[in-house]
Amino acid sequence: MKSNNQFLIRGILFLAGLFVLAGCENNSGLEERTYQLVWQDEFDADGAPDESKWAFDLGAGGWGNNELQNYTNDAQNVIVADGSLKITAINNGGSFSSARIRTQGKFDQAYGRFEARIKLPWGPGIWPAFWMLGADIETNPWPQCGEIDIMEYRGQQPNVIHGSVHGPGYSGGAAITKSYGYANNRFDIDYHLFAVEWGEDFIHYFVDDELYQVIEPGDLTGEWVFDHPFFMILNVAVGGDYVGFPTSDTPFPQTMYVDYVRVYTEVSGK
Amino acid sequence: MKNKTYNWSAILLFAALVLAGSGSCTRDYDELELASYPTTPEVFTDGFSAGLNYAAFGGSKVTAFDVDKDVKYEGSASMRFEVPDFEDPLGAYAGGTYFTTVGRDLSGYDALTFWAKASKSATIDLVGFGNDLGESKYLVSMQNVAVNTNWKKYIIPIPDPSRLTKEKGMFFYSEGPEEGLGYTFWIDEVKFEKLGTIAHRQPIILGGNDEVESAVNGLKFPVGGLGVSFNMPTGIDQTVIAAPAWFTFLSSNESVASVDAAGLVSVLSEGTAVITATAGGEDARGSLTVNSSGDFTHAPVPSEDQEDVISIFSNQYVNVPVDFYNGYWQPYQTTTSADFKVGDDDVLFYTNFNFVGIQFTSPTIDASSMTHLHMDIWIPNAVAPSDKLAVKLVDMGPDGALDGNDPTLVYEIAGPLASQSWISVDIALSGLSSRSKLAQIILERLGSSLSGFYLDNLYLYGNGGGTPTEPTEAAPAPPARDAADVISIYGDAYTNLAGTDYPDWGQVTVVSEIQVAGNNTLKFAGLNYQGIQLAASQNVTGMEFLHLDFWTVNSSGLNVFLISPGPVEKAYVLTVPTTGWTSVDIPLTAFSPVNLGDVIQLKFDGSGDIYLDNLYFYTSGGGATGVPSVAAPVPPARDPADVISLFSNAYTNRTVTTWSAEWDDSDVADLQISGDDAKKYSFTNFAGIDFSSNKFDASGMTHFHIDIWTPDEVMSKSLSIKNVDFGGGTAEATSHILTIVHTASGDIPALATGSWVSVDVPITAFAGNQTRSDLAQMVLSSNLSTLYVDNIYFYKSGGSTATEPAAAAPTPTREAATVKSLFSGAYTNVTVDTWRTDWSAATYEEVSVAGDATKKYSALNFVGVETTSSTLDATTMTHLHLDVWSADFTGFGVKLVDFGADGAYGGGDDVEHQKDFASPAQGVWVSYDIPLSDFTGLTTRAHLAQYIFVGQPSGATTVWIDNIYFYNDGGSTAAGPTAAAPAPPVRSAANVVSIYSDAYTNITIANFDAGWCGGAAVTQVSIDGNNTLKKNAGIVCHGIDFSTNRQNLSSFTHIHFDIYTDDTDLTGDVFNVKLVDFAGGAVEASALEVNINTGTTPAIVAGTWVSVDIDITALGGVVAGSLTRSDVAQIGITTANLTNVWYDNIYLWK
Repeated sequence: MKSNNQFLIRGILFLAGLFVLAGCENNSGLEERTYQLVWQDEFDADGAPDESKWAFDLGAGGWGNNELQNYTNDAQNVIVADGSLKITAINNGGSFSSARIRTQGKFDQAYGRFEARIKLPWGPGIWPAFWMLGADIETNPWPQCGEIDIMEYRGQQPNVIHGSVHGPGYSGGAAITKSYGYANNRFDIDYHLFAVEWGEDFIHYFVDDELYQVIEPGDLTGEWVFDHPFFMILNVAVGGDYVGFPTSDTPFPQTMYVDYVRVYTEVSGK
Repeated sequence: MKNKTYNWSAILLFAALVLAGSGSCTRDYDELELASYPTTPEVFTDGFSAGLNYAAFGGSKVTAFDVDKDVKYEGSASMRFEVPDFEDPLGAYAGGTYFTTVGRDLSGYDALTFWAKASKSATIDLVGFGNDLGESKYLVSMQNVAVNTNWKKYIIPIPDPSRLTKEKGMFFYSEGPEEGLGYTFWIDEVKFEKLGTIAHRQPIILGGNDEVESAVNGLKFPVGGLGVSFNMPTGIDQTVIAAPAWFTFLSSNESVASVDAAGLVSVLSEGTAVITATAGGEDARGSLTVNSSGDFTHAPVPSEDQEDVISIFSNQYVNVPVDFYNGYWQPYQTTTSADFKVGDDDVLFYTNFNFVGIQFTSPTIDASSMTHLHMDIWIPNAVAPSDKLAVKLVDMGPDGALDGNDPTLVYEIAGPLASQSWISVDIALSGLSSRSKLAQIILERLGSSLSGFYLDNLYLYGNGGGTPTEPTEAAPAPPARDAADVISIYGDAYTNLAGTDYPDWGQVTVVSEIQVAGNNTLKFAGLNYQGIQLAASQNVTGMEFLHLDFWTVNSSGLNVFLISPGPVEKAYVLTVPTTGWTSVDIPLTAFSPVNLGDVIQLKFDGSGDIYLDNLYFYTSGGGATGVPSVAAPVPPARDPADVISLFSNAYTNRTVTTWSAEWDDSDVADLQISGDDAKKYSFTNFAGIDFSSNKFDASGMTHFHIDIWTPDEVMSKSLSIKNVDFGGGTAEATSHILTIVHTASGDIPALATGSWVSVDVPITAFAGNQTRSDLAQMVLSSNLSTLYVDNIYFYKSGGSTATEPAAAAPTPTREAATVKSLFSGAYTNVTVDTWRTDWSAATYEEVSVAGDATKKYSALNFVGVETTSSTLDATTMTHLHLDVWSADFTGFGVKLVDFGADGAYGGGDDVEHQKDFASPAQGVWVSYDIPLSDFTGLTTRAHLAQYIFVGQPSGATTVWIDNIYFYNDGGSTAAGPTAAAPAPPVRSAANVVSIYSDAYTNITIANFDAGWCGGAAVTQVSIDGNNTLKKNAGIVCHGIDFSTNRQNLSSFTHIHFDIYTDDTDLTGDVFNVKLVDFAGGAVEASALEVNINTGTTPAIVAGTWVSVDIDITALGGVVAGSLTRSDVAQIGITTANLTNVWYDNIYLWK
């Protein structure tokens, strides 16, 4: 275990940022919140992902985004080893395999802090993500169920990540989104902590505890649907509308390393 | 232009203070910093940065660079480069370097960046940094940088910034005309930056490949293909070329091969060493395995004097100017050079050889006074016996230009080519019509197995200098003659008169006997006169001629005398000097009035150094000479059904109408030799043997036999045997020809003087159409004058050579859903428009092999198959599968052509790629599962339209093809070994008899899969690029029959084979290999067995290659049966309970 039930203390800064280029000042002025760890996978048990926590999405078909990969549960595409979850995209002579795992039906939660420490892959057309969907998706189809993208990334831009929400009236290309980037660093060299803190009327996006985006109901061009439990998804897509297609210059295989995923609830209100 | 000057004095003084400060300075050292170099990042922004200088490269257009204040990316100016047109008198290209006189500390940056644009789309040959016009230790460059008319930022990563603490080379470039035309490009904002967004450094050596090099001690060569790859801010990898200093090189065995800091490998002793490297702490991808076979054997030291030599490449002589030793003639040449030097001996080394040109045009060579071209060749690896090396010597001819219409001498160095020993070749220039403007020597392999060789002492020689030298070739060998027809005085050919003396009559001549090319030769040095005293008077009245061979380069006059008592003597004038050996046959009547009944002495007078050989009297005996004294070898007893004899006392002969047809120009005579009938042909040009009234079908026969004997000198002579088939008609329909020459050519024996030569060859050795179902005539053509023949017959080899597949190709097992099939009985096939396009060079038949429909292509050069009306989309497929079978191919290739998005031929979007497979196994189904990613040129595959199969030898092979389909392997790993069997060590060819291995040259095997257990026993598969045998399902024995090429293995001490099984249950598993000895007979007499099972050492183990390498000099252990192995004709492999087994590298060694 890397950490046990510990408490995080954080303030809130109200900022009106556009594209925030890295990492400068402290988040002074944030309102203090206290979170308690309620769910975690530290990926310390070698082998397939813990069945009690994760289910596989399998197959091809583009997943609504013209993605190229075929998701499998093969060890070469998804395995826990050396203290990390490894999701690997493989090029089998022009057809691609990868993996996508989710906590659907095993864990979901409304509100709280959701975080994952990730080292990202790279290369044009590589599209890893740490994101959430409304747990009622089967009865309340997307985008009405809501989608919170804690971290998305395009492999052809390895120094920038993106945080977004999708909902009715602001889905797909109209999603509410903001990017966070480094001028002199990239996300595929070392691990970085990607997190959202989500409450009844806010979603705050963090990279390495730097706040870079605040989304509140007034920021949306539609209904605020982030009021019910969401489950988490980790995947590495290859190609697709969001990222473009891989090129012959895209190095393969490409692996996303996830050190841990942790979920907290707020234990003392404001 | 603004040239800032920087004040360095303070810093230099500061450095001096640190060095000299001890004792005299009271300041604490901790307050001082080490002398440092400026960290200025700018190279050129709006002008030269501090201390920057520019120098144009030699041969470049020095005015190519200027500062441009009109065109710029940013600020007030950019650098402009005007690339000259082709043949610009001011310089051929634009190129130069920007450097400082004092180094800069660039360790805080990770890349050189700049912006560039050009007047048109172009690729700049080279840009980089680290060129300081001196050592240029940390040179880094980027090749073929694409620029266009828009400004774009370029990044050249620094492989390891920590090394650049005092770099002077800031930026350099080099660019020539594009397709002959000049243009302009601009570069701006050149500076070093700390980007932080380039990552994943990957050093590379040898282009990232794991290469293997055969070498010898003393060889030194650089590790090539050095680069460092980075992932750029765009997510793609970019590789820069990096100098050796960026790397740290390592040898796994310093005693075998060391490697220095500059990446120079020095081979030191026999063995294997692996060269690897690191850069910036990371292991480089790629390695070089050096296999040293031991000490380098220098080529023989040439003995000709410099005056007599025009040398092209030799350390022994002064070489003439040479344009190049390797023209790198694109696109067909694959040959690369790895020339080396051992001690003071330079050696040319051609690798990846197919052909190479050596050119000397400035000036050309006037070889008018030269007689020979000499070269020494060393071939490191084994070569197939039938392969040869052709030497072409090209003269510009009267038009003084190389224009394809040039006088050319072609000489084939006959096989089998020895490996691991120097082959010295001396090629007479007499066949070259013009040799005053020699310009090229082209070396080309005939066959496919000669992969490379060393070349040394390439020179022309002759007598041009007039300096006395010795002959390098022996005098011509005299023909065989009956003893009664010869009185020999001197020579190795006949029995000489005893007691001959070379008396001292007061002359100054020095007489000695020397060896010339192993032949005893008489030398008269400094001749004034020299007598030859016979021990006893000779009556030569029964003789017709005095023969002698003489050689001199410096004689101005030479006479030979016969002397009878009196003395009565008569001179005969010999023409001197000679060009090479001169042979004369002097009619004895020329010596009148000498008494031929009482010859007591001979005498020479004249001048110079004279070499003499083969001094004898002879008579041609009116046709009685030159007759074989023994009969031809008696043919073996054969089943009458296995023989069709035209002429032999051993078999029943067919009726032949005439042995010399009216339409020929030669004569035949019958005779008996020791009671054996023979025929004597006296050739003008050709003799016709006609049996058209009694034609026969020899289709069932596999071999042709004829015994020949000639009294003639055979140099430059040949005999052709043409079998004529009437094809059911009344005149020649097809024919096939066998040509026998004076040097051995593959499996065909050579002509020889005075001895029976048994020509016993498979019909496949004949050139042409081998149809023989209606044979009617035979034509013998020769430039020999006399030829005795015997035992002319066809026969069927006992080994029943497989000429066509007996068993069907293995049935495919892949799921139909994962397959797109062109041709297979196992799947639904797509529509194929044609199985033989009209532009093909092959004959096509649809045949049935054991009930399975199969494509048969004979006389295959190449054949096109098309799906143009409905192109095939293989984008979801991962592999191409083919099963092929041939008894005679030496190479097979497949080319895929995609018609591109327009789905039609042409349109600029067609792509293609050909995969070639050398030396496929013969006589066995070979299964190819080729990853489509191997077809690297096939960048699209959504509209596959053409499939081209290629066979070698071109137009002379028959190939059966089945199960042509694409499939998707689903990323799954196939069963069986994923790694190749361990590679056998490098061994001298003389120490190995290989049955099946990619590492050695395998022996000729008539029937590789003899079907002893019914059906084909094995299929050849490729495991990690290595040919491997896989046992077919349900078959438990594999017979390998080489009874027509039996092996005496008595001196071989070990048998080797590698086996692999993936069986989960090894209970009762057995793998036995049996060497079958025929003891000179026709069937098994005894056998040596090696029995491997799960309890033996070594044991059968699943999931790994088991190498069995067993001493067979004693029984016991796994060795049973008989140790006799002097006439091994077959190998049998039997298995029990093994479901899947792969095996490889079957050979014997010592």
